[in-house]
Amino acid sequence: MTVSSQVKGCFSSIKSAEATLETLAVKTNDQETEQIFKEVQHTLKTVKNDLENQVIYLTKEEPQYKS
Amino acid sequence: MPGWAEILVRSFVFLIVLFLITKGLGKKQMSQLNIFQYITGIVIGSIVAIHVTDVATNPVYGILALAVWFLIPVTVEFLALKSKGFRNIFQGKGTVLIQNGKIMEDNMKKERFTTDNLLEELRNNQVFNAADVEFAVLEPTGKVNLLPKKENQPITPKILGTNVSPEKESQTVIMDGNALLEPLANASLNTNWLETELTKMNVSIENVFLGQVDSDGQLTVDLYDDKLAVPEPTEKPLLLASMKKCQADLELFALATESQESKDLYQKNSERMQQAIDKITPYLQ
Repeated sequence: MTVSSQVKGCFSSIKSAEATLETLAVKTNDQETEQIFKEVQHTLKTVKNDLENQVIYLTKEEPQYKS
Repeated sequence: MPGWAEILVRSFVFLIVLFLITKGLGKKQMSQLNIFQYITGIVIGSIVAIHVTDVATNPVYGILALAVWFLIPVTVEFLALKSKGFRNIFQGKGTVLIQNGKIMEDNMKKERFTTDNLLEELRNNQVFNAADVEFAVLEPTGKVNLLPKKENQPITPKILGTNVSPEKESQTVIMDGNALLEPLANASLNTNWLETELTKMNVSIENVFLGQVDSDGQLTVDLYDDKLAVPEPTEKPLLLASMKKCQADLELFALATESQESKDLYQKNSERMQQAIDKITPYLQ
């Protein structure tokens, strides 16, 4: 596995975690819990954006592995 | 009317009156007896007993007496609600038996409470050593309540200094194989949602003995068929595991890369993930 595909894998894991958090935030009845889920979801979003840029950067670096 | 028939009629009538009076006096009469409720209870019982068994008495007088003994406690309770002094006289005050870990012998004497009584009451509260008690009070109802010393108190998350997620009451949405609509609405869910969740678990609603939804919208069921295994809820543990994996991956990338810029980026995000995990762990357990 190339670095690029590993980072891509991590990126999609985070994406899925973010989506799960979003459903949990919708499902809960408790205001405080909902707030925490939303905050963590926001953190994950920043990480996701950073990783997305990194994926683009890596694809440029290793054009031979472009998928 | 023959005597036996009259007794039957009287029993029936007084049973209804007694039922209404007990209802009217409220739950307090049932749960705890303070001085006044103790007296009222005895008198009302005796009045009914006399008038049911003795056909020579006038039942109207009986009902009149019951009405008086119903009104007295209600009035007393109303006055007690308004005035603390009144409350102290009619409902009694608690007596401190142990204060600052020391047994108050004088107070015990006043209440004619023997050492054996005290030890028995402490054992009732799961305390077998009087030295473990910080404070104990004899309530007007005759019950002893106590506060154990701090080191003997059960461990709570507050003592451990850990965060816990708030939890609201669960709603019982399935009982004996039937969906209950009102609790479902309380949890802002509907029968469609219930059907979907049950399909996910691969069980039919007829087979569910009891189903509850917690405040996070997670359905747990107990089946009639105890041999069938119900899948445990996995969503939250999976989420936590995948977040932990991502965090570990990011750390690994940071170590593996040679570009300083990428290293910083991975490190920063790995820290962010760690913070997120710390924050959310109590809510996912």
